[in-house]
Amino acid sequence: MKIDQEKCIGCGQCLPFCPVRAISMDSDLAQIEFDECVECGSCLRMAQCPGDAIYQQEMEWPRIIRSILSNPLTVAAESGIPGRGTEEMKTNEVTGRFKPGQVGIAIEVGRPVTGARLYDVEKMARAVAALGVTFEKINPTTSLMSDPRTGKFKAEILNEKVLSAILEFSLKIEKLPEIFSVLEKAAGQIDCVFSLDLATRIRPDGSVPTAPYIEAAGLWIAPNGKTNVGLGRPLIKEE
Amino acid sequence: MTHTLHRVGEGLEEDYVILMMPSKDINHKGAAPKLRRYLEMAMEAGAIKIGDCRNGNEYHQGGVPRILENLQDQSVVHAVFTNPEAVAKALRLFKAAELGLCVVVSGIFDRVEKCCGEAGLKQHTINQSLGRWGRTDKLPPSEILQLSTMCGHGMVSVGLIEEVIADVKSGGCTAEEGAERLFGPCVCGIFNPHRAAKLLRVMEKN
Repeated sequence: MKIDQEKCIGCGQCLPFCPVRAISMDSDLAQIEFDECVECGSCLRMAQCPGDAIYQQEMEWPRIIRSILSNPLTVAAESGIPGRGTEEMKTNEVTGRFKPGQVGIAIEVGRPVTGARLYDVEKMARAVAALGVTFEKINPTTSLMSDPRTGKFKAEILNEKVLSAILEFSLKIEKLPEIFSVLEKAAGQIDCVFSLDLATRIRPDGSVPTAPYIEAAGLWIAPNGKTNVGLGRPLIKEE
Repeated sequence: MTHTLHRVGEGLEEDYVILMMPSKDINHKGAAPKLRRYLEMAMEAGAIKIGDCRNGNEYHQGGVPRILENLQDQSVVHAVFTNPEAVAKALRLFKAAELGLCVVVSGIFDRVEKCCGEAGLKQHTINQSLGRWGRTDKLPPSEILQLSTMCGHGMVSVGLIEEVIADVKSGGCTAEEGAERLFGPCVCGIFNPHRAAKLLRVMEKN
């Protein structure tokens, strides 16, 4: 995003809407620090700029990645849905993506608030790839990898900044202790935050298969989360 | 797209989001009128806000009727609720309608489970938050984080929250007006202004 310095009247209305504080006043005019801007579009949508000075410049590769992983209204070609992720557990009763005995894992690097450079996302990807995970093919973050087996990203994109990028994969639930251990080590090697979540089928008796693993690892878990209530049709046929 | 997950802080007992969506290439053809019906039922049950990830919230589309008019087969829609009774009512209506699209409820797990039971539904799959890892020292104070995490896409900025808190404290706007200002940037329309106003009122007194 850019601000036309000829049109800006210096009102500062746009400043608070930037989620990464990339807009500041300079010589009484608002300026966007281009390398910090994540192309989320919030200033353009929300500031009601009286000078009509905010404008979306043309975006080419690799800058377009910022918009895909930061602007919620951008539809990723891989998933076909708006946002940074996939249908994940939201449609599990019709896709069967996460089967009994499996756990879906999403590592959302940069969320909340801090944003992330893709070199930090790559560090996380390489750490979990060493365990032999298969990243979700239709997740837009997976498309940024030159080698999804190792988690290596394309070299030209590593310094791009985004609001968040989701590393998504599933594995056998017995592998959770290994994943937790790897994540604890990797967390100390990045300069931003990440949010971690697990998706799991509920057993017929109502119990939660991930609970003993989380408890054994001594991890914090939120009392709130998402529940797929199984209304989608046709239901996936399971063996 | 875990945008309704990872909410933290006070007031979660008055914070529920129901998401409704088709699955691409499985049941998305002809889904738009079904999504519209879901949203109508959600409003009948007491939703305080509705939104569409593909086209934006009421602020961006110019009102609730526009959200309903502009729905597409691959829209992902939401409704925000402030109590489990209304959530249970919505689920009962959804179940009876048999529209066949996927429905996900975000909120405190045991209360959502109870809502499912009251509607004759069972939990199929859950998504659990194991919190924030890494450079958590870079995060803002909890009073700001509890507001910012109501937009999982990170559109409700720390700067805007700080400005709204300052305005509420100085008497420049009411907590309710401030909460509506914070709702605007959340393009999907999942931000809960009812909970936000309560949180702002607590900050106003401190």
